[in-house]
Amino acid sequence: MKGTMRRWKLLLPLAVIAAIAATMAAGSLAAPANEVRIAIMTDCKGAFGFGYEPDIGGAQAALAKYAGGKAKNAKKPSAGMTGIKVAGKDVRIVGYGCGDDTAATALKETRRLMEQLRADVMIGPLSGDEAVAVANYAKGKPTKTFIIGTAGSQDPTLQIAPKNVFRYHGDGAQWNAGIGEIAYKRLGWRNAAIMMDDYSFGWTSAAGIIADFCAIGGKITKRVFPPLNTTDYATYVQQLPSPDNVDGYFWVVGGTGTSASLKAFEQTYGRIDPKKHIGNLFFAFLGADKTVAPKVVGSYIGGFGTGPGLKTTQAKAYEASVAKVYPGLNGGNYADGFVYNYYNAAWAFVQGLTKAGGQLSKLQASLPRTLRSGYEVSDGGYVRLDRNRQAIQDQYPLQIVKSGDSIATSIVGYVPNVDQTFSGLFKKSSPPPGRSQPPCKKQKLSWQGKIKVVRNGVITNQVIK
Amino acid sequence: MILGMTTKQTVERAIGMGALVLVAIGPALFDDYWLGFILTQTFLIGIAAASLIFLSAYGGMVSLAQVALYGIAGFTLGNMVTTEGKGLHLGWDPWLGVVLAIAITTFIGFVLGAVASRSAGIYFLMITLTYAVIANYFFGQVTVVSGFSGISGIDLRAPGFVGADEESPVRLYYVALVVAVLVYLLIRFVLRTPFGLSLQGVRDEPVRMASLGYTVPMHRTLAFTFAAFIASLAGVLYVWWNGQIDPATIGLQGTIDLLIVAVIGGLGRIEGAWLGAFVFIVINNYVRDSWLTRFLDDVGIGGSFNTIIGVIFLVIVIVSPDGLMGAWGRFTGVFRRRGGGTEPPSEAAVEGIGRT
Amino acid sequence: MTLHRPLQIASRVAVFGGIAFVLLYVLVIADPSPEVGGNWRTTNFGSALDDWQSFTRTLLNGLTFAGLLFIVASGFSLIFGLMRVVNMAHGSFYLLGGYVAYEVQQEMTGEGFSIASIEVSTWEWVLPALVAAVTIGIVGLLVQQVFLRWNQGQELRQAMITIAISVIIADQIIAHFNDGIAASMTWPGWTDRLIELPLLGIDYSLTRLLVLFLGVAVGVALWAWLYRTRTGMVIRAGVDDRQMTSALGINIQLVFALAFVIGSVLAAFGGVVGASQGAVASGQDGQWLLNSLVVVIIGGMGSLLGAAAGSLLYGLVFSFSAVYLPTTGDNCCTQYSIIVTFVLLALVLAFRPQGLFGRAG
Repeated sequence: MKGTMRRWKLLLPLAVIAAIAATMAAGSLAAPANEVRIAIMTDCKGAFGFGYEPDIGGAQAALAKYAGGKAKNAKKPSAGMTGIKVAGKDVRIVGYGCGDDTAATALKETRRLMEQLRADVMIGPLSGDEAVAVANYAKGKPTKTFIIGTAGSQDPTLQIAPKNVFRYHGDGAQWNAGIGEIAYKRLGWRNAAIMMDDYSFGWTSAAGIIADFCAIGGKITKRVFPPLNTTDYATYVQQLPSPDNVDGYFWVVGGTGTSASLKAFEQTYGRIDPKKHIGNLFFAFLGADKTVAPKVVGSYIGGFGTGPGLKTTQAKAYEASVAKVYPGLNGGNYADGFVYNYYNAAWAFVQGLTKAGGQLSKLQASLPRTLRSGYEVSDGGYVRLDRNRQAIQDQYPLQIVKSGDSIATSIVGYVPNVDQTFSGLFKKSSPPPGRSQPPCKKQKLSWQGKIKVVRNGVITNQVIK
Repeated sequence: MILGMTTKQTVERAIGMGALVLVAIGPALFDDYWLGFILTQTFLIGIAAASLIFLSAYGGMVSLAQVALYGIAGFTLGNMVTTEGKGLHLGWDPWLGVVLAIAITTFIGFVLGAVASRSAGIYFLMITLTYAVIANYFFGQVTVVSGFSGISGIDLRAPGFVGADEESPVRLYYVALVVAVLVYLLIRFVLRTPFGLSLQGVRDEPVRMASLGYTVPMHRTLAFTFAAFIASLAGVLYVWWNGQIDPATIGLQGTIDLLIVAVIGGLGRIEGAWLGAFVFIVINNYVRDSWLTRFLDDVGIGGSFNTIIGVIFLVIVIVSPDGLMGAWGRFTGVFRRRGGGTEPPSEAAVEGIGRT
Repeated sequence: MTLHRPLQIASRVAVFGGIAFVLLYVLVIADPSPEVGGNWRTTNFGSALDDWQSFTRTLLNGLTFAGLLFIVASGFSLIFGLMRVVNMAHGSFYLLGGYVAYEVQQEMTGEGFSIASIEVSTWEWVLPALVAAVTIGIVGLLVQQVFLRWNQGQELRQAMITIAISVIIADQIIAHFNDGIAASMTWPGWTDRLIELPLLGIDYSLTRLLVLFLGVAVGVALWAWLYRTRTGMVIRAGVDDRQMTSALGINIQLVFALAFVIGSVLAAFGGVVGASQGAVASGQDGQWLLNSLVVVIIGGMGSLLGAAAGSLLYGLVFSFSAVYLPTTGDNCCTQYSIIVTFVLLALVLAFRPQGLFGRAG
């Protein structure tokens, strides 16, 4: 009896080692030299884990349209894509990164993709802190190219800004351009309080709102920053001024916190008045949440750099091209930044590699400085990169509307050519967005007074008054 | 002394020497990824795990604070040597930064150890877990020294001969290897000193030792301090290797990962630290996109690497609680003496701790 | 390290002096914040004398949070007190309970907005809670019987087994519950209002009072069970002296199983309440395990009174520090409120490691 026990206890570790050996053997073999290896880095866990398939689907849809890729499974983008060919060179997707919204995991995944699987180009990452880590990593790997997926932090292209990092969409502050002016002019807000997640994306997103609102003359009377993933928001909501003492609230809380914090608000001050609550893109993620989502129908929110429902030929062409490869991706919401931004990143890559004649060494010089993007209207429908390889992008403030058993967004404004510096307010030398940065200052922004009204997906000639 | 060594010890020595030779000529055998990612990480995670195993095998205390301590060292170094970016970015000399990081972490280890030393067994485990949590929240909330994004660019400010990782991983590889070997020898040395021997006495019979006049809490505190010193070395190597450190690295996940590493290797023997680290890192790397995860998906269980490592951990704890090293011990079937020398009773190290 | 007498007296004076100072600060000393700047006396709303409403609101917020903490931590404390098992999967049970209840409620009330939240009936909350409790109770029973029954006394091994289980459950939740995205439940419609509390001078949320009530109800039920029933008596005997109890012929294994099930059910119920108060999402299992750990370390292991005291202290400190820490400038100090709770923990560890109501050793 003892003998069999001992033998069994022996077999276990041997089995472990055998399993390891087997998986190693099944691992990647040497790759043929004449191909370009790319990797798509996104989140499969954490607050943005739902972005996994939409991100990969968006990028691969562009590869299918512009580089002849064939999806292995039209319902599951992460199943892979074959047959991608650019300028006569085969392009292989060597792996998908699985982050969890933290810098530590992102860096691990990036190293795995770039060093173990030897990718030459990365499309990604998804979130703000991840992009900061990847940008710092990219500084030390000048021969590799990084095209940011949909991260909203400011640092990667302003404070860090390595030459091999490109971003074809706005950052979190740019996404909120125009919403302050709408609050001031349409809702008549003169002073507001702001609640923001106490970490870099919260600060960046809030910075855009604050800059926009204060530039036109609004005042931020109180800033409250609950730590990320707070369990009980009541104590933070309590620090906000009561609805009688302030014209409105800007709400920049995401993840679990959006519905928890709004519930806490209701429990402290009573019903949410959509005219007194302006959120950022996270309000749209409330989706079918029964308790809170109905209460914010009618609120204005900052956008995601996309124009859901925009009725231009360019927008429709973009949506059709995604629907062709992955019908029903992201529930049919192709306008979501998760799909759109990754699509544009992949398309930029294809254009760059084509211009470089398939030569990786020329790729960074050849990546396009303007990109014809689905929801762009200014400059003939092109996004332009500034000298830090950061996009200057049109933005669309939105409004939450009811849509069947859930909520959806509707475009209310069009803000042309929003740049990352906010007309010089944000500089490389200025302190990055933080708990008290930027300060509330009146100034002239390039889009002030030029925000056009959008009705039913059509940009009118009226300016928001 | 050849006469004093058993066959098992000879075999072990041979295997150990063999492995050492293999990694010493590593750059000739392995590619850059294996050198820079898998093996360098094995060495430094192994050092951190060794600090945990030292405490558990020879101090009778399982500590979950080792990751926090290594994080403190990493953050301190990061704050001191970087010249821009998040944190204090003091821009001091790299070597000064290293010395200060190690000194500060060791001192903090002393204070934490003093507070925790009066508890034992499961209480000690929980107290060290709370240390880990406190460190995680501290570095997340106090943006002056870090914040959620953490501190980056530390590898660019590593001392000259270490070099930054991007040039070639070989230098850091050798630095990590040498430090790992020195740590191992240091631990073996300490165990043979009067302190080491009385520590093992305190582990086995604290009441009797107290009645003999030894101060039990002081022994535990000093052991914890020593382990903090070792963990700080791992922390310094980590930030040189990774270039970046953020609070998520030292969160609950990181703490549990180190425990898994130590348990896989074996909580009873120091060699288990590097064995466990190697196994964990390799599984972490290669299981990800492999047939195992696809198999889980097809079978409908779903899940990813974490389910697999959780199951492996569970099986090891149930079947062979002293990990791979313990299984090896049983395989060679030699009956080891209890007490005396530096061979710890391995099963008791895991099971008996709770009875203290 | 034994402290010499003068050092002991000094530290005792320091602790009590510190507590007295904090109480005075909150009640009297603090000032409301001026337009610009601030000093060590400036807080968000000033002292209780300046702004009584804010004080009572903060007090109630703390109490109601303590209610939820108690529900979760009492289960953890019960399992440890009787079986000496540190159930590291306690947070996972919390999370699983929240998700299961969420799924059931979605089934009952239809996806999305088909029913307005004000129309959610009491039964549509109670049934999901029951289903969650029963499901997690069964899971807990399985875990205890398969993994913990045969290694009694090997505390460390059991702790590691529960760690492994928590890792597996956390990953499985991500795989099966919509990638672990936030799931938020709805309280019954009639709770969605503010009621007047004339004595305290504020209008307060009925929902939060309900949470407090549930916490107290759980406490009373546990007390009644432990101190007024036969099984409870056996459990208390088992907590005091396990070997003697089983030597008296009592089926201690049955008692252990029961305790573990009750503990898991409490965790799951806590998850349901937590999901209704805010939301549950993957990653919170670790947070709630830590919350339980903090409560029982402060209050003392294995003691019902300890769990209550720990919850109260933790809840109140958490609530008050967020509002009454000085606001001297842009970067200080309310963002460190979470650190204050851990300072409390550190103080308890340093001066009374067995917790306020725990037994030494």
